[in-house]
Amino acid sequence: MSQERDDSRGRPSWNAEFLRQGPMQEVAPLPILELSAVRKVYRDPMTLKPFTAVEGVSLSLRRGEIFGLLGPNGAGKTTTIKMILGLAKPTSGMIRIWGREPRDRAARTRLGYLPENPSFYDHLTAREYLSLVGSLFDLGAAISRRRADELLARLGLKDEGRKPLRKFSKGMIQRLGICQALLNQPDLLILDEPMSGLDPIGRADVKQILREERRRGATVLMSSHVLAETESLCDRVAILHRGRVLEMGEVKGLLGTGVMEWEVTVEGLPDSVAERLRTEGHAVDTIAGRRVIRVREGGELQRLLRAFGQDNVFIHSVEPRRPSLEEHFVRTIESAS
Amino acid sequence: MLVLGLFGFALLIGSQALAPLALGEGQKVVIDFGLAGSMMLATLLAVFLGSSLLHKELERRTIYSILAKPIWREEFLLGKFLGLWFTTAALLLAMAGILALVVTVGYGETPWAIFGAVGLSAVELGIVTAVVVLFSSFTTPALTAFFGISAVVVGHFAEDLRYFASHGAPVVVRWITESVYWALPHLSVFNARGLAVHGTAVEPERMLFATTYGGLYIIGLMVLAAAVFRRREFR
Repeated sequence: MSQERDDSRGRPSWNAEFLRQGPMQEVAPLPILELSAVRKVYRDPMTLKPFTAVEGVSLSLRRGEIFGLLGPNGAGKTTTIKMILGLAKPTSGMIRIWGREPRDRAARTRLGYLPENPSFYDHLTAREYLSLVGSLFDLGAAISRRRADELLARLGLKDEGRKPLRKFSKGMIQRLGICQALLNQPDLLILDEPMSGLDPIGRADVKQILREERRRGATVLMSSHVLAETESLCDRVAILHRGRVLEMGEVKGLLGTGVMEWEVTVEGLPDSVAERLRTEGHAVDTIAGRRVIRVREGGELQRLLRAFGQDNVFIHSVEPRRPSLEEHFVRTIESAS
Repeated sequence: MLVLGLFGFALLIGSQALAPLALGEGQKVVIDFGLAGSMMLATLLAVFLGSSLLHKELERRTIYSILAKPIWREEFLLGKFLGLWFTTAALLLAMAGILALVVTVGYGETPWAIFGAVGLSAVELGIVTAVVVLFSSFTTPALTAFFGISAVVVGHFAEDLRYFASHGAPVVVRWITESVYWALPHLSVFNARGLAVHGTAVEPERMLFATTYGGLYIIGLMVLAAAVFRRREFR
């Protein structure tokens, strides 16, 4: 008997009732992490003077994106992260991880966290510490050991697993911090300054790992001071200053597509012409015997190129310069200050 | 191990030095000093290790990565309490073992009665550890150590405090003293050294009463500590 047909007592079956309600409505997926008008005010324990560390921060993270939390020291990045993890309580506002309160332990089962300048129990070895983390996630000894082996190899710590952590360098501790954050294969990774203390090879490794995690479907929230790394890694960023979000959006959207200036490198430019260009307001430098002239306007660039052609000045290269995230960040912070 | 070695050495030297002065009571003196010394060492260890228990975790920031895992803060605190209590209780038991060995070898008789007294002392250690964990959950190591030592001293003299207050003190002072008397742990309940010295075992009724009282007091302190620690902010 078909489920759509009414039952013997004349009542429509559940499926028939369901189909009569019309086409299924698409429900928006629950945000992985959501902050709404989050505010945090600390009080000086002696004077009780209030200090606002975070003011009205709202964010919503999508699945499979890398989100950068940028800002100068004291901007409120770490306080925001601590509130997300339930280590600090917002004075007002709402934080939800998969719809749950941060203090709810179930919210943290699929979460990985790397603290800023991490430190672990230094009498343990790396393997012992990862085994402890595995037990906190209820992974089971065999799975925990296998993942620890994989991660230690992936982070270049394969031969250091049995060394006590007190003998680890800062960079090695940072790598171990990333191992412990990834041990439970988290769906949400929260990394406070993940590039801190790493050499260029280490930073490249971490960038590669974060891209792989994004491909796996994990969402990454990271704070960073290394803006060049952030620019190439993050899908979206928020710039925080004095606890407030100054700007938020996709990196490309924030930087715009326009050219900031052109760098014209020439050979055989007479000193008198270089001096005249300087008086006209262009920056002229000498690098390895060549003159590098920075031009801000397209029309001016055309005029100069024509003039160089007429004066038999050899044009070595013309390179457009687009604003970097770092330049955009500095400009944004300066204008807010 | 160092504490145990020092304790054993001090006990041997002490028993040799005291034997001629004890007028045939050397065994009792050694047991009395041995039990008192071992309890004092274990208590000091509980107070001073416990006072920096959470502070060290905060200072080194090891606590952040642990509390970000799917565990309740109460579990973390309970783990700290049990770890410290079992460590100091194990140390106490080991010192009692050394004491029993010294007495057996020196006087040809194994003082089995000391183990009942040590059992009660272990419960007392649990209370001291819980007091320390409670204070370490919200204050500095120095204040924690101060409150821990104060609790031990006042806890052993709670009866005397009440006695002095009931003789001639104003009503308000008597009322306050009475409240403090009931709030403070009565640690003298756990002192069965007098019995152990005379080779008398602790009666089962006393053991049951003291253990139940100690257990309930520990639970009360830990519930309070958990409530404080749950609200704690990590800056």
